[in-house]
Amino acid sequence: MATGTRTGRSRFTLIFLLLTSATLLTLDARDFEPLQRTEETLSDLISPLRSGADRVFEPVGDAWAGVTGYDELESENDALRQELQKLEGQQILDSDAAIRLESLLDVLGLPYVQDIPNVVGEVVTANVGNFDRYSVQINRGAEDGIRNGMPVVTRGGLIGRIDGDPGRGHSRVTLLTDPSFEVGVLVVGTEDVALASGGGRGEPLMVTKGLEIDTEVAVGDEVVTSGVDRSRYPPGIPIGTVTDIDFDEARLLQLLTVAPSANTDSLSFVTVLLYDPLEDG
Amino acid sequence: MTMAGAYVRSGLFLLTALVLHLALFSDLRVLGVAPEVPLALAVTAGLVGGPERGAIAGFAIGLGIDLYLPTLFGLSALIYTVWGYAVGLLEERIFRSAWWINVLVTAAATAGGLLVYAVLGELLGEVNLYTDRLYTVMIVAAAYNLVLSLPLLGLWHWSWPRLLGEER
Repeated sequence: MATGTRTGRSRFTLIFLLLTSATLLTLDARDFEPLQRTEETLSDLISPLRSGADRVFEPVGDAWAGVTGYDELESENDALRQELQKLEGQQILDSDAAIRLESLLDVLGLPYVQDIPNVVGEVVTANVGNFDRYSVQINRGAEDGIRNGMPVVTRGGLIGRIDGDPGRGHSRVTLLTDPSFEVGVLVVGTEDVALASGGGRGEPLMVTKGLEIDTEVAVGDEVVTSGVDRSRYPPGIPIGTVTDIDFDEARLLQLLTVAPSANTDSLSFVTVLLYDPLEDG
Repeated sequence: MTMAGAYVRSGLFLLTALVLHLALFSDLRVLGVAPEVPLALAVTAGLVGGPERGAIAGFAIGLGIDLYLPTLFGLSALIYTVWGYAVGLLEERIFRSAWWINVLVTAAATAGGLLVYAVLGELLGEVNLYTDRLYTVMIVAAAYNLVLSLPLLGLWHWSWPRLLGEER
């Protein structure tokens, strides 16, 4: 009898919890604001504990990364050394890649990113799960003026955008390597606005839409955000460099492979551009 | 210990485990895969506490980790609730708690839970869950949780001391 009662009670508990979970899922899918505020509040409550634990365990994580990523680190160092030598050799030819890009942008009449108000944030957590490989959390949020969709950059260029409504003091950044990430781009020197999408972690971006077959593009050309009307990204943010060009004869389009100019693998600090296309554009 | 005391203790245990997962375990990656501590907590709660406590612990830790995942809020809670309950039920009716069976069950349930998470997530419109990498994640996370299961089982016994040898 007691066992039967217990079984009945545990079934009731299960059904109650499942219905609660399903309700939360539905509300979240519909962007129910009170739920999002509750999530932010809960997250903010845990935040001090987490920050303290982060500080305590950071050396452990670093040591682990050093041990498990040693081979990767070594090959990365080799690649960087080669890259450095190549850059030193090219220094005379193109004295400063940034100046060259700026001058090209200037020719196109594109404004500089530096004119846009921005907030620097520290990456507090990279991925906490095994499925969120394309997002990081930063320690700046709504109280710093950050809103959903704002572009996030580093010195190298665009690295992603703010994803979802930020918490008071934290927000999530979706990285441009995310295969579902799309951004309107322009190959510097051309007028065709194309669409680039993420290719996965450690993979180049792909431009598969919008670039007509007769547009003159060469390997090595710089790619920047297009900033077309109401785009969520301002024009002229560096995206990367064209490394390969292919042709889709059926659709009469060019398909570009673009090596991102910013490294998204080991982010420490990022800059959120407080850019609202409706206000600024 | 009173039942309320046991729940407070297990609540503190879950909160501590969540913070440790966020600050420490999520960084301890092998082949880019971190241990699935929250899922292991739900499963071991079911193994130690039975279906009802497994479901409650799974729901609580699922909600906690959902705060930090980009997927829909409630997805982990839903799956961990079912997993905690189901494992608790199986343990009660079939396994009857040989320690090594519990360890293997934790590993197998981790792999199964991740598969269900990916499939259900994709069905609900999430992206990048059911990918080629999923099977690597399942294997490595299962191996990780196999190792973690013993301390977690011990900690659940500590959280619910009255349960040992008594009614669930």
